[in-house]
Amino acid sequence: MAEDDAKRVLEIIREFANIGAGNAATALASLLDMELVNEVTSCRLLPLSEIAEWLGGEEQVVAGTYTQLCGDLRSGVLVVFPPESAKTLVRHFSKQDEVDLSDLSRIQTSAICEVGNICLCWYLVAVSKMIDTDLIPAPPGAAVDLLGAVLDIPLAALGATVDHVIAVHTLFRGVEQVFEGYFLMLPENKMLETIMEKMGDSAG
Amino acid sequence: MTDAQLIGIAQYAVARTPGKLCCLGLGSCVAVFLYDPTAKIGGVVHILLPKAPNGHSSDAKYADTGIRLLLDQLASKGADRRRIRAKLIGGARMFKELDLTMSDIGKENIAECRRTLTELGIRVVAEEVEGDRGRSAYFSMEDGMATIRTAFSQDRRI
Repeated sequence: MAEDDAKRVLEIIREFANIGAGNAATALASLLDMELVNEVTSCRLLPLSEIAEWLGGEEQVVAGTYTQLCGDLRSGVLVVFPPESAKTLVRHFSKQDEVDLSDLSRIQTSAICEVGNICLCWYLVAVSKMIDTDLIPAPPGAAVDLLGAVLDIPLAALGATVDHVIAVHTLFRGVEQVFEGYFLMLPENKMLETIMEKMGDSAG
Repeated sequence: MTDAQLIGIAQYAVARTPGKLCCLGLGSCVAVFLYDPTAKIGGVVHILLPKAPNGHSSDAKYADTGIRLLLDQLASKGADRRRIRAKLIGGARMFKELDLTMSDIGKENIAECRRTLTELGIRVVAEEVEGDRGRSAYFSMEDGMATIRTAFSQDRRI
C-alpha cells in the first residue's frame, strides 16, 4: 500500500475507533455496572506477520472473540483482551479476588467472551455507520487460550486474501479498575477500498 | 526452554543436537517435526494451511509443500530419509461456533500432513492433535522428543 493511502486509512481508522470505543464503553459500563471512560491509545495498520508481537507475544493467555463478515464486504473481526485485563474483567463480574485464566469455569469463560462480543459489535456498528454500508457478521466464536492459537484461525481463513490488519488499542478506565482491549480487523481488499472510497471526501 | 529457536507461521528450520526448536501458540496450525535419530538431526515446519494453491509464494506455509521442503533440507544436511520419522502437533479447532461459515482448518491440516507423509513413506510415530486447545511445542534434537505445553494442563512429552 502506498504511504499516502496508509496515512489516510489511519485517519479513517482513528475516527471509527474513537466512535466504536465510545459505544463499547457505554455498553460495558451498563453490563459491568461501573463508570467507564475510554481512550483510544493507538491505531495501526500492521502487516499480518506483526500482529502477535504487537499484542504482546503468542504464548500469553488471552480472551479472544472472533467473527467474519459474510455479506458483500468481507473481513475478519477480532477482539482480544490481554491476560491482566481478562483477569480484571472476570474478577469484577464473578466477585472473586483470585482468578486463574487457565482454570476458568464455563460460565466465567462465557461471560468474558460475551464482553468481547459486545465490544466487537459496537466497533462494527461504528464502521458500518461511517461507510454507510450494512455489515453482516456471522455469530462469533470465542476462546480463552494462547494468543497464537486464537490468531491462527483468522490468519488461516484470510491469510491468502488479506495483507494488513487494522489494529486499535483501547483503554477502558473505571474508578477502581483499568482494562484494555484490542480491536482487530482483517479486511479483504474490496472492504479496504470501500472504506477509502466512502470516506474519501471527509478524510481527504 | 528459552534457548529454543522460534519457528513462526510459514517458517521452517533444521537443527542438529543439542539444538532446540519451538513453535508457540499452535491453534489450527500444525508443527511437523521430522527427526533422524541416528544422525540426531531434525527439523520443524510450522504450517498454516493444507494445500498450496497454484502460484503460491511460500512453500513452508502449506502442509503438502512444506513437508517436502523440510524433508529435502534434512536430506541435504545429512539425514537419511529411511530413518526419518515424524511427529505432529496442533490442528486444533479453536472456534467451533464458526463451523457453519468456515471449514475445520485444523482437521484438514492434519489430514493433509498424514497424506503427504504417507506418500513420502515417512512414519508418524507420535502425535498430539485436534481438540480445542492451543499448544506450544518444544523440540529437542538431542533425543527427538517434543514437549507440549498448553495453558490448561501439565507438560506432556511425546
